[in-house]
Amino acid sequence: MTQAIDKAQGDGAPLIESEVTLASVSEHVSNLVLRPAPRWWWIGFGLSFTLFLVLVVAAAWLFINGVGTWGINIPVAWGFAILEYVWWIALASGGTIVSALFYLTRSEWRSATNRIAESMMLCAAAPAGLLPIFHIGRQGLFYWIFAYPNVMGIWPQFRSPLLWDFVCVICYVIMSIMFYYVGLLPDLATVRDRARTRTQQIFYGVLALGWRGSARHWANYKTVYFIMAAIMAPMVISVHSVVGLDFAGGLTPGWHSTQFPPYFFFGAVISGLALVIMLTIGVRHGCHLQGVITEHHLNALGKVMLVGSLMLTYSYVWEAFGPFYASDVAERTMFLERVSGLYAGTFWAKTILNAVIPQLLWLPWVRRSEVLLFLISLGIIIGMWLERFVIVVTSLHRNWTPSMWGNFYPTFWDWATLAGTIGLFLTLFFLILRLLPIVSIAEMREIIHKDKRT
Amino acid sequence: MSENAVYGMMAEFATPDAVTAAARGLHLNGFRYMEAYTPFPVEELDRVLHPRRRPWLPIIIFGGAVLGAVYSYFLQYWAAVLDYPLNVGGRPYNSWPAFTVSSFEVTVLFAVTAAFAALLLFCRLPRLYHPAFNAPDFDRASQDRFFLCVEARDRWFDAERLRDIFARHDAVRVSLVPQ
Repeated sequence: MTQAIDKAQGDGAPLIESEVTLASVSEHVSNLVLRPAPRWWWIGFGLSFTLFLVLVVAAAWLFINGVGTWGINIPVAWGFAILEYVWWIALASGGTIVSALFYLTRSEWRSATNRIAESMMLCAAAPAGLLPIFHIGRQGLFYWIFAYPNVMGIWPQFRSPLLWDFVCVICYVIMSIMFYYVGLLPDLATVRDRARTRTQQIFYGVLALGWRGSARHWANYKTVYFIMAAIMAPMVISVHSVVGLDFAGGLTPGWHSTQFPPYFFFGAVISGLALVIMLTIGVRHGCHLQGVITEHHLNALGKVMLVGSLMLTYSYVWEAFGPFYASDVAERTMFLERVSGLYAGTFWAKTILNAVIPQLLWLPWVRRSEVLLFLISLGIIIGMWLERFVIVVTSLHRNWTPSMWGNFYPTFWDWATLAGTIGLFLTLFFLILRLLPIVSIAEMREIIHKDKRT
Repeated sequence: MSENAVYGMMAEFATPDAVTAAARGLHLNGFRYMEAYTPFPVEELDRVLHPRRRPWLPIIIFGGAVLGAVYSYFLQYWAAVLDYPLNVGGRPYNSWPAFTVSSFEVTVLFAVTAAFAALLLFCRLPRLYHPAFNAPDFDRASQDRFFLCVEARDRWFDAERLRDIFARHDAVRVSLVPQ
């Protein structure tokens, strides 16, 4: 039955090109890290690193001058830092969804894309971790949120969703690193065995921990990997649901809604999938991986993204229905202001980008066209940024009473921080591309073997 | 090379079926100290080589989860009820619904950490040196070849006899591995 499902997911495109063999996939993927970097890598890394330096400057400026350099003020006290934190952690969650959830469903298309997705997750977690620290104003005191015995004799407030969120994210990042490393072990051994220079042999030899691929190793590995995936899948749902609770726990109009946890998770599915698709298309061409990443994969990813878009659209409908079904004037005022006020452009843009344009994915030829998939994904990522903007800013700018009304205008440093976090993400991703095998070689070998049998 | 400096006899195979057949044959002949090295998991092989595996791994992971649950709930209980009771909106000090989220996260964190530690423990890793690495061509065990090693400590270990058995199972290459 799983085979029938796999065939259906790919719409007939092969999961793996027939000329790929055990030896060739091991050689090709490990050469990506063992051979000198191609020119496009240096250009990409250089540009990303330049953008990252913008973040360094923006952060330094922020540390010197305080959060007043941003456009935030009362009543809109949550600005770019928070909305981008939500944006980045959603992008990160998408990586785990591809990797863990589709491991449990035994979808074979996942094997060629899971390393890209997991690498993306770790890279996106870095800006997601930094932004709340930037936001708190007194950045040096962020460690107060840790539950540790201190001379002040006080504890963090364990009943607060903001603390839950911190616990979720820190647990999530630590678990993701372990999950990532376990998945990497057999591939690091392959790279170690193919390394020819002394430095590479030592570097990958130590990283591989002496993995030999013995029957005992594999048996334990499979059990542990399966259990980890089974834990990571509900874990990632909880992480982004709790981000939703940060808002639902607040009494602000537009936030105080029970649908927020799933609403945020749906957003994580669609935006994470969009970024996975963009990176997969890039890596596929940059690293010449057309043999193992085929139309089958893009097709399957496109379908999951479409499902994400439908789920998100459902939440959009509820978000519009709620204020008029309930009898809260402030909720209605805020919503009408949202669709027709100063920020109406962002509202309609995110609706079109996330709910309308992705409907093109119903058409098989759109899912097969890399250009269209890339553009739709880019639109979704921008749309999801706008969605977070709408949720965070427009809710706050029309609070309960007119005395709590006010507008938010982002400053240069807001935009610089946004650009810088993108630079940080890309810098890390380019580094991973250079240092670690970007496709799970061991899983590809298993698929090649199965493919030859049938 | 003296007899006691030998780790075992390593045979190289081209397919997972060949190595599984060889392992099965050796097992029937009474060999017990064997290990296979393959580029991807071969399930039948593990069943032949380690027929009686105990389910310790899931038990350890479950133990980690229980430890995490108890630890995280107790930490919150200690802070909110015993050490610094604070009335928040008239809620009970032990407001367990609010404590479940952090408890869940820490529970799964401990479970995954236990899984990671147990994996290293049961695989005896990290161990950068292992005699198996001395076998010629062994770098292909992580690429496209399948290896089977009968260790010298096996009571039936006999180089000539093993060469015969391996040859009958289409081994590509057979070699003695030094300790």
